[in-house]
Amino acid sequence: MTTATLETTKPVLPPSQHEFAEVIHRLEAGGAMLPDTPENLMQIIGLYKAYAVPMDFYWRNLLYIAEQVFLDPLPFFKYFIPKEYLELQNHYAGDRADLRIWRGIGSAHPELLAFMEKGETLKMPKIFHHLWHDRINMEFAEECMRAMLWHRGMGGQFDPYLDSDEYKANADKAIRAYFKFNPVMMGLYQLFPDMFLEQVRQMSYYSNLGLFWEIMAPVFFEMSDLYDEGKISSVPEAMDFLVNGIFAISGRPIYHQVNIRGEVFEIIPKSKGFMWLYEAALPYVEAVFYRTSPFRGTKSYNAQTQQVPEDQKDFYFGILYADVFPVGTAGIPPTLLMQDMLHFLPPYLVEYYAKHCRGQDDMLIQLGVSFQRSMYCVTSAVIQALRTALLYPLDDPNPKHLAANRAFFEAQLDRFKRPEARMRNIQSQDYR
Amino acid sequence: MLSLLIWLPLFGAIVIGVYPKLSAARNFALSISSVTFLIALFLFFKFDPTISGVQMEEYLPWLQQIGLSYRLGIDGISLPLLALNSFLSWIVIYGSKSEIDRSRLYYALILVVSSVVAGAFVAQNLLLFILFYELELIPLYLLIAIWGGEKRTYAAMKFLIYTAISGFLILLGFFSLAWLSGSSSFDYTINLQSIGSIPLPTQVIILTIILVGFGIKTPLVPLHTWLPDVYVESSPSVAILLGGVLSKLGTYGFVRFGLQLMPDAWAELSPALGIIGTVSVLYGALTAIAQKDIKRMVAYSSIGHMGYVLVACAAGTKLSLIGAVGQMVSHGLILALLFYLVGVIETKVGTRDLDSLNGLLNPIRGLPLTSTLLIIGGMASAGIPGLVGFIAEFLVFQGSFTVFPILTLLCIIASGLTAVYFVILLNRTCFGKLDNATAYYPKVTWAEHTPALILVALIFFLGIQPSWLLKWSEPTTNSLVASLVESVDRQIVLQSPSLVARN
Repeated sequence: MTTATLETTKPVLPPSQHEFAEVIHRLEAGGAMLPDTPENLMQIIGLYKAYAVPMDFYWRNLLYIAEQVFLDPLPFFKYFIPKEYLELQNHYAGDRADLRIWRGIGSAHPELLAFMEKGETLKMPKIFHHLWHDRINMEFAEECMRAMLWHRGMGGQFDPYLDSDEYKANADKAIRAYFKFNPVMMGLYQLFPDMFLEQVRQMSYYSNLGLFWEIMAPVFFEMSDLYDEGKISSVPEAMDFLVNGIFAISGRPIYHQVNIRGEVFEIIPKSKGFMWLYEAALPYVEAVFYRTSPFRGTKSYNAQTQQVPEDQKDFYFGILYADVFPVGTAGIPPTLLMQDMLHFLPPYLVEYYAKHCRGQDDMLIQLGVSFQRSMYCVTSAVIQALRTALLYPLDDPNPKHLAANRAFFEAQLDRFKRPEARMRNIQSQDYR
Repeated sequence: MLSLLIWLPLFGAIVIGVYPKLSAARNFALSISSVTFLIALFLFFKFDPTISGVQMEEYLPWLQQIGLSYRLGIDGISLPLLALNSFLSWIVIYGSKSEIDRSRLYYALILVVSSVVAGAFVAQNLLLFILFYELELIPLYLLIAIWGGEKRTYAAMKFLIYTAISGFLILLGFFSLAWLSGSSSFDYTINLQSIGSIPLPTQVIILTIILVGFGIKTPLVPLHTWLPDVYVESSPSVAILLGGVLSKLGTYGFVRFGLQLMPDAWAELSPALGIIGTVSVLYGALTAIAQKDIKRMVAYSSIGHMGYVLVACAAGTKLSLIGAVGQMVSHGLILALLFYLVGVIETKVGTRDLDSLNGLLNPIRGLPLTSTLLIIGGMASAGIPGLVGFIAEFLVFQGSFTVFPILTLLCIIASGLTAVYFVILLNRTCFGKLDNATAYYPKVTWAEHTPALILVALIFFLGIQPSWLLKWSEPTTNSLVASLVESVDRQIVLQSPSLVARN
């Protein structure tokens, strides 16, 4: 468990010679990769709040697709989330929570419901909001899911399980039940079983990400409330809250169940014991924060000139590296997410953005950069959590243990040596 | 009426200059310039486009002893250029900031330039013309030397030396004409009648001297070396005046004092002039391709486009001459647009370097509208149909082809090269990815966009409705062609009397 900052601890190791020595020393003192300034804190907390509202929609819709839409060959209305999923109680918020992280309600956030009602235009039938893109952009959530599915093999037990015979048998049962009255699709399944199996794997990742975000939304809401109440007053405190939250719910099961005509099919049973931290959080951070894919829209990558690494594990197109100029795509940079967050910015951030750069005109980019800062803070929390889980406390008196911690931090920060990484940029407040 | 175009801006300049309490110099200059422009527009209503000769003449005896008279008038060649001068002066004043250093002097000098250029276009007396022609040197020298770039002193001195030599050569030519023809007056009409008394070889020498003078002003290769330095070091507003208006004094001189005043000598020199024009066109285009500074690129493009005018004048057909007038106006508008936008980009981005500029079309952090207008400017300059540049170039090419087929084909190739350097410019400047480490450019306001939007509207309008540009000049240029044809016939008779007798 990470504790408060250790800035007063007497250093027992010589200064790091790493390019990001300053950041490493900050991490060793219990801080984050993001410098601890009130401006940074305001930006990251404000963005967590703005992110949490659409995230509250994302996780509900992801679970709805994984559990209800499933293999619908014509999923035109998959984003039209039914009332029962909007009223679905979050397991970590509200009175009936298993572990109450957020003190608010367990059903959909009121701001989300208000936005779904009117959008940014006016009240009109849902189909028009959808076609006009005056809605929560689920495409971003799906793109994140797809990044996790596409990269796969990022550690943990969940992903190998998707290739197991047990999983295939469970999926087969669900597929046959789902297409029981659809001979055409059943025929196709006979012809191309792997194609259907791959679709089910994708659905399992829908569920995985939905369950991951079900936790992150109340975490972010609570952080925002604590900030408003003055109970979070520094970046390390914000990071500590995240780390503590990660450990508090790290054992939450990751599963996939499908509801077909009233019958529940367990494709990945809870009993498999897949843990939230290792099977959802870490693969998500790896796939979305670091890797994703080299298709940003306006920039072309030339694979023949080594602009795209040969090995997927070396991809560097995630939000921690992204150029946040909007390109209109669902992926990274998260143009659609930025558009979603724009609707839920706290007033203090709107006021803050209005004072810088082009004010209202480039708020989308400014909030994209703030989002990048906040994700560096989340990544810091993950790094500290991993260090806590795998290595030694920051105040360990054994110099060898501290050296091991340092080696770990340095290895983590090696990934930001690339010129594309925004680590250097976020050290300065001028990066907006 | 014509005097107002000269004296009103001059009056405005004096008021701004001597009235110390005038704080809103820009607004006052803008008002004066607006009225001047409205007067210039009003001339179009009074002008009879069916008459080829001089109209709205104004006369006042002045220094009769030396043949100087205050004789003004306009014809189909000077009218569009007069309007262009008033319009671009307005654009320059509107596009300049009120908080510019020494604003009173700055706006006063611009009004003086507007006044004397108008004087040169309406003058109907050789000495009066040269008076105005020389007078513009002083305000422009100061405009470059005070508000120019890093090497402004060098550029201003270069401009001063070249333009002074240009003026001296033209004056020498004019004096030679008057003395050798025995004329006691420097009025155009009188000289036009008496010029025949000068032997043709002498006329050719005099015309060569005059053409070198105007060739420096235009400028033509190889007299162009002052242009890149001066255009680049001048502020964008002054560059608009230099490229949009001043260079037209050179091409106006070709038509007025070459083609019209000495058609016999012009006919003799026309093949050489066609070659010089084509060399200028090719040189301007090829050199522009090699540039890394977008302002310098636009400056070199100007050399090329002025070359078209000389080729058209040298060809001397009805179509080519109307194309030449069209090209003068078209070039003035397009160059003003390009220089204005380059100025906006330099102000906002802080560089004109092609290697540094990128992605300005970015809709949120770039300069999207400025980039769009720059693309339109580039298209107009490259002669894309539907824009005024196409009309002018097409007429020049079609009119010149019958006389100079090879030279015209080379010009057409150069027109393709224009597209090449503008594609380079636009590709590097507007397209690509904006670097978000540097992209903290201030927004371009609508007020800053207004001059460019007006210019683009005019470029489109005259491109779609070219008769509004060309109908004023057609009778005048037709009469010039007629006198040129007569002259050529006369030469044939003089050179081969036996052949004529047999026929």
